[in-house]
Amino acid sequence: MPTVGGPETAAPQYPFLKISGFGDVDFSATDLQAPAAHFQAQTLLTDHSGFELGQTTLHLISALSPKVSFFGEVTFTARSDAGTGTPPAPGFNLEVERLIIRYDFNDYFKLSFGRYHTPINYWNTAYHHGQWLQTSISRPEMVQFGGSFIPVHFIGALGQGEIPAGGLNLNYDVGVGNGRGDVISRGGDAGDINNNRAWLVNTYILPNWAYGLQLGGSVYRDELNPLGLAPAQEWIESAHVVWSKETPEVIAEFANVSHQPSNGGPVANSQAWYVQTAYRLPWFGKLFKPYYRLEQIHVPHSDYIFQNFVPTFTGSTSGVRYDFSSFAAFKLEYRYYWRRDAPNFYGAFSQIAFTF
Amino acid sequence: MAIAGGTLARARSAGEESHAVAIVARPDLPVDNLSFAELRRVMLGDRQYWTRNLKVTLLVRAPGAHERDVVLKTIYQMSEAQFRQYWIAKVFRAEATSAPRIVYSNEMATELVAQIPGAVAFVDAAQVPKDLKILKIDGRLPGQPGYPLH
Repeated sequence: MPTVGGPETAAPQYPFLKISGFGDVDFSATDLQAPAAHFQAQTLLTDHSGFELGQTTLHLISALSPKVSFFGEVTFTARSDAGTGTPPAPGFNLEVERLIIRYDFNDYFKLSFGRYHTPINYWNTAYHHGQWLQTSISRPEMVQFGGSFIPVHFIGALGQGEIPAGGLNLNYDVGVGNGRGDVISRGGDAGDINNNRAWLVNTYILPNWAYGLQLGGSVYRDELNPLGLAPAQEWIESAHVVWSKETPEVIAEFANVSHQPSNGGPVANSQAWYVQTAYRLPWFGKLFKPYYRLEQIHVPHSDYIFQNFVPTFTGSTSGVRYDFSSFAAFKLEYRYYWRRDAPNFYGAFSQIAFTF
Repeated sequence: MAIAGGTLARARSAGEESHAVAIVARPDLPVDNLSFAELRRVMLGDRQYWTRNLKVTLLVRAPGAHERDVVLKTIYQMSEAQFRQYWIAKVFRAEATSAPRIVYSNEMATELVAQIPGAVAFVDAAQVPKDLKILKIDGRLPGQPGYPLH
């Protein structure tokens, strides 16, 4: 578990770098006859069974002073084209997932700069790349890594804080930065794709009168210049309700993404939601936690931004998590997918996830 | 109003055996009383500063200690596993730079509290040194009716 300063010294040490990590190994088997179009690799929907090395994630934290801190997250992801091409593609992609430098004025206002997981969605900022942290094997598709529905990454500046607000404990994030890149599943790491900054406002409450409850919502705005497509205005509105205790655990989110061509035209609304519930069983040493998730994404054919990148489907996921060690868990899942534009399919999945 | 460790004996009724857990801090901590809700915010790492320039340092007993059991059961309402996962996630989300610091005895807890500005620890109410102060919770001291940590 993360701790401060190693030996029993009173004086804090700066900078103090701590490195921790997450990893997972997966197995999947489905009745797919062809790759599942528009689903992301980490959803494990392949047309042949087998093991897969999940992302190896390193988390770096360093307190630079009592008020300045650094957070970083890098991942190593196996490439499906490893060894092909000239020169041969490497076996793994290295990504800088998060890189944040933050100054804490006080609890009410903290200012940071860097690359974030866009704080317009609960799952995105609750679990990041730590599979061990999340109950289920894979993320809801609406926030899947490599996916396009939600802009998973955001590069810019963020003001955030918590205000007591009479016991509501109101948390907020206000951000401005580079929105989506010309590849809409990626952020503008090397610069913004246009002269319009994306901005976001995210708020949620953690009321004293319901310890474990979180209610929130957010708004995001960007102008898109996607590769090979006409520019568009993008609005995202989302909401979530979470009960974070394990008896039960409930997470529910909804998001609406609106696209309108920048030179005028009809607005297309694409929507996604999921509800996931789990329950830590009181028997067998409280090591087992069964769960169920129902999720849906709907992209109308009129949404020219999403129609070739985001699947329209309903998915049912049922599984169980077994914490066989303090820092490692085994998960088993069965999923069924109903697809609008392709045959339905099902699959069984397993994962060993751990932190170190 | 600051309450020093020596005053606690008068606050308790005579003959009462107390397993109450006291929150101790340096006398110069600019907080004397916390509501239970506020205490929970501090322990969850949601409140990280006492004042603009005084950071909260949490000292928690190692697993197996009665004081830790009381804190986990009453304030966090978490099992050991849930507590571990909570802080790993809190740090991973970049909401805190570290989890609470582990101390292995009441003596170690009180020594570090005396040395670290802004530190608070949970110790047996009968073992609070005179040079530290005990924070009230909802206006109550250990041993008083309604005190939650026991």
